[in-house]
Amino acid sequence: MPSFTLQISNLKTVGPVVEIKIAVGNFLEEILSRSRVKIPDPVNGLAMIDTGATVTVVREDLIKKLGLNPVGMVKINTSYSTNVPCYEYLIRVLFPNNVIIETRAIGAPLLGQHIQFLIGRDILQNSVFIYNGQMNSFTINF
Amino acid sequence: MDEILGKELETYEARKSELLGKAKGKFALIKDDQVVGIFDTDLDAIHQGYDRFGNVPFLVKQIVELEVPMEFTSNLLGK
Repeated sequence: MPSFTLQISNLKTVGPVVEIKIAVGNFLEEILSRSRVKIPDPVNGLAMIDTGATVTVVREDLIKKLGLNPVGMVKINTSYSTNVPCYEYLIRVLFPNNVIIETRAIGAPLLGQHIQFLIGRDILQNSVFIYNGQMNSFTINF
Repeated sequence: MDEILGKELETYEARKSELLGKAKGKFALIKDDQVVGIFDTDLDAIHQGYDRFGNVPFLVKQIVELEVPMEFTSNLLGK
């Protein structure tokens, strides 16, 4: 079972964060490759594991870097507003230890500069997430 | 917000009753004013969309009576 464990020096303050990359979905990569179109480079950033997020979120400007177009639209409720329309994109999330998950994420603004992604329950639903506050570490098994 | 996929969302709303009658819970692939196909999974519909149209906007929508908004409790999300 692929997994990774991270030690965060102050887990309570920082939260369960992990450096990830996102890339265009597998199938789109094949289509681009077949058409001899350059495949956009994966984009790096810091992700927060967020059990309060129904689905994974990518900061809007990073979606643009991948050159992705929307494949859907959903409405979301946040702390600030309700029924906000957001576009959906098919992306691949590349975690440490070669764990790769393809998912349908939404593009939305994320406040502050330190977090570029929220990893939501669309990804967590196929995993075991262990938050070990006493050891300042967390583990995700897929 | 609705300029991209605006036409597709209009098409979905216009055909929603018919789609609910024949394919409730499945996924519709819609481009402009055409319902291109109905699929068992969203990934099947998205793959078909990329295959037929390439990297352009298209709508994959689950056919449901009532859409429940997705919830985000984190105050990092700025909308």
